Amino acid sequence: MWIDLAITMVKIIFILTVTVGFFAPVLTWVERKQSAMMQDRVGANRADIFGFTALGLFHIIADALKMFTKEDFIPQGANRALHTLAPIIALIPAILTFAVVPFGGQYTLWGKEVNLVISDLDVGLLFVFAIASIATYGYVVAGWSSNNNWSLLGAMRTASQMISYEVTMGLTVIGVLMVYGSMQLTQIGAAQEDFWRWGFFLQPVGFVMFFAASIAENKRVPFDAPEAESELVAGYFTEYSGLKFGMFFMAEFIEMVTIGAIMTILFFGAWHLPFLTTADLLSMFDFLGDNGANLVVMLIHVGVFFGKVTFFIFVQMVIRWTLPRFRYDQIMKLGWKILLPLSLANIVVTGIIILALN
Amino acid sequence: MAYYVDRNVKMTWWERTYIPEILRGMMITSRHFFRNIFGFVPFFLGKKKDREIFTVYYPEETMQFPIAYRGRPVLALNEDNRPNCVACGLCEIACPAYCIDIIPGENSGKQNEVERYPVKFTIDYAVCIFCGFCEEACPEEAIFMSDQYDITMLDRKKMKYDMEQLLVPVSELKDRMDFCRKMYGKWNY
Repeated sequence: MWIDLAITMVKIIFILTVTVGFFAPVLTWVERKQSAMMQDRVGANRADIFGFTALGLFHIIADALKMFTKEDFIPQGANRALHTLAPIIALIPAILTFAVVPFGGQYTLWGKEVNLVISDLDVGLLFVFAIASIATYGYVVAGWSSNNNWSLLGAMRTASQMISYEVTMGLTVIGVLMVYGSMQLTQIGAAQEDFWRWGFFLQPVGFVMFFAASIAENKRVPFDAPEAESELVAGYFTEYSGLKFGMFFMAEFIEMVTIGAIMTILFFGAWHLPFLTTADLLSMFDFLGDNGANLVVMLIHVGVFFGKVTFFIFVQMVIRWTLPRFRYDQIMKLGWKILLPLSLANIVVTGIIILALN
Repeated sequence: MAYYVDRNVKMTWWERTYIPEILRGMMITSRHFFRNIFGFVPFFLGKKKDREIFTVYYPEETMQFPIAYRGRPVLALNEDNRPNCVACGLCEIACPAYCIDIIPGENSGKQNEVERYPVKFTIDYAVCIFCGFCEEACPEEAIFMSDQYDITMLDRKKMKYDMEQLLVPVSELKDRMDFCRKMYGKWNY
């Protein structure tokens, strides 16, 4: 019992370290640097410690210091309680989704079954959607409580956009559920051991639509109408400063990791290497003994999983710095008139094919 | 000429599916990214060669400005170690921002001696708008626009430059002088 608790604690600490401790801060640097590279610029490279700039990596520390020491400003006439609460509501769901995200399969280490997921829920996917939609409240409350017209407009856009795209997101995932017959993320991952049974090959249309919808959920360019710098100053977080602003910022970056992780699990073979099943890998490291082989395979799988997540984050960044922002009516048109019918058609076609194959 | 933008661009079926065109755009940006990230390594070693990036590392490197660039106006110091200025006041009058302030002095009028000279010549760079009218008005080739533009002070009073700070040897202003002769063409050289 204590051992189980310890394993769970280790897993929680690992996930928190990777997402909050590593991905979220490093992505702020990656975003600046990658956009610079893509636009033939240099990017952040001035913050230095004793003359070492480390390619601008110290900007992370500089940013964190700035956010911690900045004035925490609450505008006049704002609802103080909700204004403080909003960034927390926005940030917590982003981190919480990782509770059900498996970052590896099941391994036997010293007679102990280790399942590399914090909480292996039967309704894992539903849990992800349920928690992710709570974040909407954070953004809406942030916009409303700021007592600022820009913020309110941004919040309204957030609400409508997130609700519209959640429909598409939920419906596209149904195709995946029909194919794998499970809502448990670990089982969906385990079902993709064979390369040709990756979700990408079984649900190509669903993949594209899910990607589009999840970027819209995260409110990043090209779906960043809620914060639209050129129209709404900064949208729902116009009136935020210091660490509260940082929390919105971090929520966005952690959500990018979440999207990458969910995409990897649903469509890109989770932790599996192409053409190498777990049994193959285990026999490959047979010389290390049973425990050693399991341990090595576990590390490989975790590495592969986060490699795939990194790839999806890269793709999201490329999209973010390639496409211009949609107009608001275009977002709605894309969501309701194109993606929704397409996702319904996807379900129908998937159903017909499954029926025909059986 | 009015210029009509055709907003009803007819897209082909292929373009209207949107996804292939997105991929094409992503290919372009990714190509730049990967090309630059490999050119990034020389930068890490402190070299700036073989790189497509056109950023200028400002305080360390400065741009080479074209000769027509109007930086801060300076006074020309001729070979006899005295300003070309004869304190006629034309630049003072031409200045739309009234940033030039001249106090003229007079010599005795002997042979081989300038009759008039500026006792005090101040330009307030906090007021100057870098228009170049003073240069155009000057009949004596005494005031020129240089290529310096970074005049930053913590105190506004220090922005007021007096004659010692303004004087620049005429040899450094040769290019600009030639440009002015060509440009304004009033000296008939």
